[in-house]
Amino acid sequence: MTISRRALLAAAAAAGGGLLAACGSNTGRGDSGGGSGPALSHWYHQYGEAGTEQAVKRYAAAYKKARVTVQWRPGNYDQQTAAALLTDSGPDVFEVNGPSLDQIQGGQVVDLTGLLDGVEDDYNPVVLTPKQHDGKTWAIPQVIDMQMLYYRKSLLRDAGVEPPTTLDALVDAALKLTTRKVKGLFLGNDGGAGVLGGTPLYAAGLRLVTEDGTVGFDDPAAARTLGKLRRLYAGKSLLLGAPADWSDPSAFVQGLTAMQWTGLWALPQVQQELGDDFGVLPFPADGSAGRPAVPVGAYGAAVSARSRHVDAAKEYVKWLWVDRTDYQEDFALSYGFHIPARLSLAKKAAKLRTEAAADAVRFTTDHGWAQPLLWTPAAQTAYQDALSRIIKDGADPERELRTVVRKVSDELRRVQRKTT
Amino acid sequence: MSARTVEAPSTAAPAAAKPGPGERAVHRRRALWFWVFVGPFAAGLALFTYVPLLWSVWLSFFDAHNTVTPTHFVGLDNYTAMLSDAAFRDSLLTFALFTAFIVPATYVLSLALALMVNRVRRLRAFFRSVFFLPAACSYVVAALIWKMSIFNGVRFGLANTVLDLFGAEPVAWLSTTDPPWYWLVVVTVRLWLQAGFYMILFLAGLQRIDPVLYEAAAVDGARPGWQVLRHITLPQLRATSVAVVLLLVINAFQAFDEFYNLLSDARGYPPYARPPLVYLYYTALGQGQNLGLGSAGAVILALIIGVVTVGQARWFGLGRRNADG
Amino acid sequence: MDDALVRAGRALRLVVLIVLAVLFLIPFYLLVRNGLSSEQDITSPEWTLFPSELHWDNVRELFEDPSVPFARSLLDSALIAVATTAGTVLLASLAGYGLARIPYRHADTVFYAVLGTLMVPAAVTFVPSFVLVSTLGWISTLRGLIVPTLFSAFACFVFRQYFLGFPRELEDAAQVDGLGPWRTYWRIVVPNARPVFAAVGTIVFIGAWNAFLWPLVIGQDQSAWTVQVALSSFTTAQVVRLHELFLAAAVSILPLLLVFLCFQRWIVAGVERSGID
Repeated sequence: MTISRRALLAAAAAAGGGLLAACGSNTGRGDSGGGSGPALSHWYHQYGEAGTEQAVKRYAAAYKKARVTVQWRPGNYDQQTAAALLTDSGPDVFEVNGPSLDQIQGGQVVDLTGLLDGVEDDYNPVVLTPKQHDGKTWAIPQVIDMQMLYYRKSLLRDAGVEPPTTLDALVDAALKLTTRKVKGLFLGNDGGAGVLGGTPLYAAGLRLVTEDGTVGFDDPAAARTLGKLRRLYAGKSLLLGAPADWSDPSAFVQGLTAMQWTGLWALPQVQQELGDDFGVLPFPADGSAGRPAVPVGAYGAAVSARSRHVDAAKEYVKWLWVDRTDYQEDFALSYGFHIPARLSLAKKAAKLRTEAAADAVRFTTDHGWAQPLLWTPAAQTAYQDALSRIIKDGADPERELRTVVRKVSDELRRVQRKTT
Repeated sequence: MSARTVEAPSTAAPAAAKPGPGERAVHRRRALWFWVFVGPFAAGLALFTYVPLLWSVWLSFFDAHNTVTPTHFVGLDNYTAMLSDAAFRDSLLTFALFTAFIVPATYVLSLALALMVNRVRRLRAFFRSVFFLPAACSYVVAALIWKMSIFNGVRFGLANTVLDLFGAEPVAWLSTTDPPWYWLVVVTVRLWLQAGFYMILFLAGLQRIDPVLYEAAAVDGARPGWQVLRHITLPQLRATSVAVVLLLVINAFQAFDEFYNLLSDARGYPPYARPPLVYLYYTALGQGQNLGLGSAGAVILALIIGVVTVGQARWFGLGRRNADG
Repeated sequence: MDDALVRAGRALRLVVLIVLAVLFLIPFYLLVRNGLSSEQDITSPEWTLFPSELHWDNVRELFEDPSVPFARSLLDSALIAVATTAGTVLLASLAGYGLARIPYRHADTVFYAVLGTLMVPAAVTFVPSFVLVSTLGWISTLRGLIVPTLFSAFACFVFRQYFLGFPRELEDAAQVDGLGPWRTYWRIVVPNARPVFAAVGTIVFIGAWNAFLWPLVIGQDQSAWTVQVALSSFTTAQVVRLHELFLAAAVSILPLLLVFLCFQRWIVAGVERSGID
C-alpha cells in the first residue's frame, strides 16, 4: 500500500481538476444591447402575450448609453429575484410586483425619487402610492393591471337576471345562473380566497391597512361581508377545478360559467370569442357604507442596490419608463391589454375607448384599490388562510377575523418599528 | 439500510495493524489512501452541503429579513415564534398524519406488486417495466397530468367522465374540503410515482431468499399463501422492509413538489394539506424573505426527521451488528 | 381441488396485474392523447379515446416555437445530465469504496456525516447555496449548474453498501499481484461492479434530467434553459396552452424512458447485490 505520486495526481485530476476544466465554459450572456458603455442586465417576468419579449428587447437595443441585456424569466419570478438580490449576480434593473417593504427597509432597492421630477402627477396615484414609502419613490410603475367581473349578457337575459350591483344580488344571480352544465360564477379554483383577497373588504367600505398603519378591517362589517362569500360556495354556484385558473378566460369563453372574475388582460380574447355578448362590472358594494371595488396593481421598474452601475441603471430606467412615452404606450397596448400607468397616455389611447375597456378604465379610477406596502406576505398568508376557511369550511367569520386582526397587528407593529 | 448500513467499516476489513515499529507508518498510509478516495467527495460535500447548512443554522438565530449576512442577533426568538405559530404546528400535525398513511400504503402496494411480479410466469419483464416506468417521471409532469387531465373539476376530466358513466355529479377534486378529496389526488400521484421504485427493492430482496426455505415450509405443511408469506417471506425481507420504511418516512416529511404543483396557484396556497416545507416557502423562504424564521422552521423540521429516523433505526434494531441482512 | 385452487389463484393474480398495469399506464396515455389533440378536443365534454384526427403538426409547432428553444433545451439537458451523472458516479463510487474498504480510524465519523445530510431538506439550504455559488462567480455557468450537484450522499451510501458485500478474494489476489489500492480499484473492482454503476447512474441521471429549481436560478440566460425550465415556460400567469404543455411533457420524458428500459435489468441486478436493503 504505497502511494505513488502518479496515482495521487491521477486521483486529483480525475476527481476534481478534470471536471472543473471540462465544465469551465461560460454559458454566456448574449449581448442584445446595441449601445456602448456599461453592461446592464434587465429582468422581466415571463409575460404570456406573444410579442412582449421581442418588444422589451427592442427597447433595450435602442438604448445607446449602456449595453442592456434583457433576461426573460419563466417560473416563480418573485422567488428568483428575491434570491438574486442577495448576491452580486443579480439584475441591475428589474421589474417587480412591489418592491416589498422588507426589500426597501433592507436597502435592496435604490431611491428613484428624482426620476419623476416634473411628471409625478402624470402617474396614476393608485399605483404610484404603493411604490412610495417615507416620501421616496422606489419603483416606476410600468402599466396598470386590474381585475373585474365578466358576465355573459345572453345568459343573464335568459335567466332574467340583472347585472348585479350589490353583493347580495351577485350571490343570488350566481345561484340562478347555475344549471347542470353551466356554473354561475368562477372565482378561481380555490373558491375565491386567493384572487379576491382584500377586494370584498374594500367593497364593504373597509380597507386592509388604515392611513396611520393599523388594521383596517377590525369591524363587524368585515365578518358580515366575508360570510356572504361562503353562501356562493355552499350554494354550489361556483365553478371549481377548471383546468385553466381564473387568470385565463378559457372557462368563461368555453361556456363553463356565466360569470368570471379575471383580469383586464383577458379582454381581447373574450371580445374575439364572444363579440358583444359580454359586459364587465366591478366587485359589487356590500352594506350601507359599501362601494364597488376593483383591485389594481402595477409592476414597477426598480434598480438593485447591488448593481455595479447604479447611476447608469437609474438613467436607463428614466429613459425607458419616464421619457420614452412611445415605448410605454406600445408596451401597454400592443401586446396584452393593460392601462398605461400615465394618465396622459391612458387618456389618448384609442384602444381604451371601446365599451368594456372604457368601463375598466373608469372602474380603475373610481373604485381601484392597490395592496398597501405595509401588507406583508405574513399578513397576506394569515388573511388568505382565514378567508379560505370561511369560504370552504364554513368557519365562523368573526372568530377567524379576530385571529387575523391579532396577527396582522403584530406584523404591522414589526414593520413600523423599523421605520424610524 | 440494513444492518450493514451502520456496520463499522473495520469489520469489513479486519486488517487492524499489529503493534510494532511500523504501526504509525501503516496508519498514516491508510489515512492517506482513505482521503485519496474519499477526499474529493468529502470536500465537495463540505463546501456545497455543510457550508450552506451551517449558514442556515446560523441565520436561524438572527433577524434576517432579505439578507444572508444579518447583524441583529435574536437568540431563540425565531424558534419560539415558529413553535407558537399555530399554522406551522398544524402543518407538522397534518404531515405526521400524512406520513402515517402514505408510508404503510406505499409499503403494501409495492410489496404486493413485487410478490405478484415475482410469481408471475409470463410477461414478468413487461409488468416490471410498466410499474417501474413512472419512477422516471418528474413531479412536475405527474402533477400536470393529475391536475389538468385526471382530476380536474369539470366535465371533461377523466375521473369525472367515469363518474358521469354512473350518473354522478362532477367533483371538484382539488377544491373541496368536505369531503377532502384532495388527499385522493395527492396520495395517488405519490403512489404512482414511487411504488415501482420500492417494488424493485422488494423484488431484489425476494430473489435473494433461499428456495430451500420454501421447500422446508412445504414439507412442514405450511399452506402456500398467507402462512408462507407470514412465516418465511416477510421475515426474510426484514432488511429490505427497514430500508423501504426509512426512505419512505424521510421522503414523506420532505414532501414539497407534488403538493406545490397540485395545490398552489399564483396567489398562494390553501390552508389545508400544507406540508411544513410549503408553509415555510410561503411565509419565509420564497418570496417573503424572512430567512431567520424560515431557517428556524427548517431546522426544527430536520431535527424531527432526524429523531424519527434514529428512533426508527433503534426500534428496528438497525444498530445491531448481527441482525440478518 | 387444490390444483383448481392454485390455478384459480394464478389466473386471479394475472387479472389483478393486468388491471394494475392498465391503471399505471393511463397517465402515459393521457400525455400522448392530449399532446396530439387540438385545444378543443381536450376540453370537449364528450370523452374520446383518441381525437378523431391526430395533430402531428403539434410536434412541429412545439419545436418551431420561437419563444421557447425547445430542441436546444433538450440538448442542454442531455449534456448537463450526462456530465452530472458521470461526475456523481465517479466521486461517489470512489468515496463509497474508501468508506467500505480502507480501514481508517475516522471512517465511521465521515460516514455518519454523509448519512446525516440525507435528512436535511434541500429547501433549507437553498438560499445559502445560491449565495455561495454566486460568491464563487458561477452564476450562469455550466460549472455552477453541475458542480454543486455532484456530491450525492445517497449515491455514496449505495456504493458503500455495495462494496461492503464485494468479494474480498478478488482484491486480495490483486494485492498479491502487487497492485496498490488505486490500481486495484480501477482494474479489479470497477469492472466487476458494473451493475451498481448502472443502477446509481440511472437514478442520478433521472434526478439530473428532472431538476428544475437549481437550473432555473443558476442558468439565468435563455441559452442555458434545461428542458424542465422550458416546460415551465408553457404556463404563464395569463395563459395555459394545454396541448403544447402535454406534448412538451411527453417529449421531455421520452429520453428517460429509453434510458430506463435499457438499464432496467442492470438496476435490478445492482440493487440485488448492493446493500441498499
